[in-house]
Amino acid sequence: MDKLSPLTPVSPRISFKSSLQHLDLEWTVQNLPHHQELKMIFLIEISRIRTSNIIWVGNYSTTVKWNQVIHWSWKSELPLECATHFVRIKSMVDNGMPPELSSWSEWSSWEEVHAQNPLEPNALFVFPKRKLVEEGANVTICSIFGSNLKDIFCYLEGELIHGEQLDSHILTFELSNVPFVRVSGMNFYCVEKPTNITDGIVLFVSKVLEEPKDFSCETRDFKTLSCTWSPGVDTGLGWSMQPSQSYTLVESVSRERKHCEHKNVCNWKITQELQEIYNFTLIAENHLRKRSVNIFFNLTHRVHPLAPYNVSLESIEATQATLRWKVLYHGNRYSLLCQVELEGEGKVIQSNVSVKVSGEEIFSELVPDTEYQACIRCAGAGHFWKWSEWNCQKFSTSEAAPSEALAVWSTVREENGSCIVNLFWKPLSKLHAKGKILHYNIITENLDKPHRVKLYSASGLANDMKLTLDQCAYQINVTASNSAGQSPASVIAISGDSGKEVEEERIQRTEDGFFVSWKPLSADNIIGYVVGWCVRLQDPLCDLQWKNIGPNTTSTVISSDAFRPGIRYDFRVYGISTGRVASLIEKRTGYYRELTPSMNPRVTVKNLTSHSFVLSWTDYSTNDQSGFIQGYHVSLKSKNRQCQPGFEKAVCSDDSVCCKYNIKNPEQKTFTVENLQPESHYEFLVTSYTRVGEGPNGTFTAVTTPDELSYTLVQIILPMIFSVLLIISVCYWKSQWVKEKCYPEIPDPNKSSILSLIKSKENPHLTIMNVKDCIPDALEVINKPESTKAQVMGTEKPFLAESELTAYLYPLQKEHSGPGPWICFENFTYNQSASDAGLCGHIPVPSKDLPWQQGLLTQPDNLLNVLEGNCEQPLREIPAGEASLNYVSQLASPLYGDKDSFSNNPTTTMPEPCSDYKMQMAVPACLASPLPSKESSLSSVVLLDQGEHYH
Amino acid sequence: MDLRAGDSWGMLACLCTVLWHVPAVPALNRTGDPGPGPSIQKTYDLTRYLEHQLRSLAGTYLNYLGPPFNEPDFNPPRLGAETLPRATVNLEVWRSLNDKLRLTQNYEAYSHLLCYLRGLNRQAATAELRRSLAHFCTSLQGLLGSIAGVMAALGYPLPQPLPGTEPTWAPGPAHSDFLQKMDDFWLLKELQTWLWRSAKDFNRLKKKIQPPAAAVTLHLEAHGF
Repeated sequence: MDKLSPLTPVSPRISFKSSLQHLDLEWTVQNLPHHQELKMIFLIEISRIRTSNIIWVGNYSTTVKWNQVIHWSWKSELPLECATHFVRIKSMVDNGMPPELSSWSEWSSWEEVHAQNPLEPNALFVFPKRKLVEEGANVTICSIFGSNLKDIFCYLEGELIHGEQLDSHILTFELSNVPFVRVSGMNFYCVEKPTNITDGIVLFVSKVLEEPKDFSCETRDFKTLSCTWSPGVDTGLGWSMQPSQSYTLVESVSRERKHCEHKNVCNWKITQELQEIYNFTLIAENHLRKRSVNIFFNLTHRVHPLAPYNVSLESIEATQATLRWKVLYHGNRYSLLCQVELEGEGKVIQSNVSVKVSGEEIFSELVPDTEYQACIRCAGAGHFWKWSEWNCQKFSTSEAAPSEALAVWSTVREENGSCIVNLFWKPLSKLHAKGKILHYNIITENLDKPHRVKLYSASGLANDMKLTLDQCAYQINVTASNSAGQSPASVIAISGDSGKEVEEERIQRTEDGFFVSWKPLSADNIIGYVVGWCVRLQDPLCDLQWKNIGPNTTSTVISSDAFRPGIRYDFRVYGISTGRVASLIEKRTGYYRELTPSMNPRVTVKNLTSHSFVLSWTDYSTNDQSGFIQGYHVSLKSKNRQCQPGFEKAVCSDDSVCCKYNIKNPEQKTFTVENLQPESHYEFLVTSYTRVGEGPNGTFTAVTTPDELSYTLVQIILPMIFSVLLIISVCYWKSQWVKEKCYPEIPDPNKSSILSLIKSKENPHLTIMNVKDCIPDALEVINKPESTKAQVMGTEKPFLAESELTAYLYPLQKEHSGPGPWICFENFTYNQSASDAGLCGHIPVPSKDLPWQQGLLTQPDNLLNVLEGNCEQPLREIPAGEASLNYVSQLASPLYGDKDSFSNNPTTTMPEPCSDYKMQMAVPACLASPLPSKESSLSSVVLLDQGEHYH
Repeated sequence: MDLRAGDSWGMLACLCTVLWHVPAVPALNRTGDPGPGPSIQKTYDLTRYLEHQLRSLAGTYLNYLGPPFNEPDFNPPRLGAETLPRATVNLEVWRSLNDKLRLTQNYEAYSHLLCYLRGLNRQAATAELRRSLAHFCTSLQGLLGSIAGVMAALGYPLPQPLPGTEPTWAPGPAHSDFLQKMDDFWLLKELQTWLWRSAKDFNRLKKKIQPPAAAVTLHLEAHGF
């Protein structure tokens, strides 16, 4: 060292900071005079890998004292770990002379820097290990590898990149303008194939720290300043490489600083001594950069008042109210300007009030019964910074009496001597109602008897009222009432005069509406006109509308959103006389817009002949259609496609050719189609049409004309059939009479043929006995089974043995014990055996009808024989009143009460029911004898004791 | 490494139910004695659930690390991950493991892996990722408890950690960020292998302990979720 020339840098010591890639040099200068400062220049040379490879040469000037250690630092682009660096220094005194005239010291010896230990043969490293750069920076990455490793492949974010060979074992990679990719950094790694020895680094790229934007401070209460800003992008990175940027607030007047906990707001406490001027600096910083913004302000200019409080409305009346509020007191020198907004009825009224502690605002000219909202906000009066938040209160004004008379109209009709008045009124607008209408008062005053006044009341929701008055000369007053009072009265008068008949005229709607005009009436008597119409025709009250028009106007345009196309509206124009009586003066009718008819007439076919038929649609109403019906089209289709006279060929709705006839009179609702062919097929369709067009496409109706012959035949045969039916009906009706006359069921003896035969052969004087001629006698029926049996045994006929029950019938001879003439009422049921036995004594009645008996019943000749052969005494010889009468009941069972008795004889047939009447006649008593049965039983017969008599 | 993010709500719901029932593992609740069968089955189900959960988490985390870690064919050397418990084992060795050793290895592996996994949470820069990691750690803790329950049910003692062998996570200056990422990569990979192995282990254990008929029943129950 002593050999070195004076002022030669000695003992250079080198160290490095890997994270910053800094090479730090320390040295001293030999032989400096004591207590003397020298201005010196140092020339520094840096070599890489070998001393001869000088990569950097530079001067460093400084003032040097005796024994002073000089520090100097150099930043390497290449990571220091990748290569050995050499440094040497020489110096000279800076005496102001040009360098060539000054003399340099000798070079210090080369100092060598090994940032990395000697590599093993299989080692692979990539540097720098931790690198933090800003977006857009240039970065150099190097890779060093041992002698055994040959094929090194390096990847940035998975993409293979090629580096520069700095040495046989050093590769460098220059990355320029690196982007921010992710918070976990960009991955760079190298791998040796095929050993798969790998090393890599993570290059952390931070986003560029932005300057805070919109930095602003304000106070709300003069106690705290709230500073806010927009922080911009977050520059935080993972792996603890870099946290999010921090913010610091520095106030230069008070020289205080505060670290902000949040990234976009920081509260600064205002000191007790009121500081008016503030100079704030907001510093944002991360590991790579620092950014700051500054604001300077007077505190009173940055006051953002709190919202007014204790806001209240007092003395609320119908048209007036008072608003009161308070604000935070900021001292006598500071006042606020408060803005008051009153919103109601769709309007907003603003006013400003200067306030220190409390304020008041009176609202006048308010609308009664209306909801309002009063809002208030304040700002600094001296210097506007920001309005406070609104504080709003709602209130409603009280009600006032309605200010306007109601618009009233009525319809009047007489019914059963009374006058039915439908009274309508339009609800008052909110402006005029001035409150909720509670009810409507209707006062009727009889014009003929002015003192007869009647009061009606209707609900506040009603718009009409039906009054039944005893006559039609009344004046009606209508008023509306709310809680505060009553409206002026509306007066309307009605009279019984129905007025003159007015003809209805059609009108067309214009763009503005229906134009209705009328002839003016004498202005002296008229105080105005009213046009009335119905909106909803279906309703009973039809939603009556009316429009009041002044006396000097003779036309008006009626428009309404309620008008609909295709609906016919009728307008009535009334003149209002000075007595407020309305009289109809005009009628108008029109469509808002005419449409085609919605339906076609329903047609019936009449008078169908072989050459014509009549179409009729008389029930088709022309008034209820979607337009004024102007006529009808009769379309006719036939096979021969020949049009009848008056018809024109046209294309029908179904695109077929047809013949059309135009009926231009809408009231003509029948039409005769003539000149048709017999036995032909025709189809017709009748459509109505309005000004706009024809009715809907309908289906044709088929008609076939009859042929002429059948027509004629029908004309002849029908009456014939009718006549025959008539005769048959008459015959049927008279059949009972004919039967009575021709073959009655009970023959009249006077008309009997038997009688005529007897008369002719035997006794021409034979007469028929009248019932009244008979002298009734008693009959006694006795059951004498034993004696009679013995008596008749000798004369027993074979059939009698079969009888089980026998009843005896014989006359009781009280007065006429001797034999005398007998008068018999013939009943074949009983007397047939008598005729058979030929006895005039007691003859048992057989239990069944034998064939010969039936023959008797059916053959009058047998009966005749009986009469002729067995009755010796002619009937005519029996004196009336002396003859014994043998009466045989026609209702009682002939003989048998027990049918079981027949079971032993299967050949025995059941007798016919005995209730049938047979022809009755007088027969000789000898024929009327009972015929006893040999096995008759008491229990099975109706037995009458001898003492009992029938009369 | 097949760590792809997948999602199956059905599977998730199924395995959440399993997790819900973890506290009710009979081995842990000694009130009844249904044997270790049900707890083994539930531990098996839990490993399957964690496999599914890890697939989703690993996808997210490896994307966070960036390429090449999220590339399917990336296969770096283990380097710093040598300390991780290895799941890979020779098949014959694995077959010859007795139940106690098999369970002990599982328990020890997950104890270590859970510790490493908690260190992973510190690297995550996004809140969403931190939440996912924390959720997985909770699930893994549940698996550890479940294995402990099975061991207790079989009467095996829990392995005691040897002093000084506590796994530590020391990303010091010597440990570069890149190597740290590689360790994370290996941690997730090893975790996946362990879960796969555990499923095999518990399946084997299940078949061994339970009669065949019961095994069929449990199998069907598992499908029934």
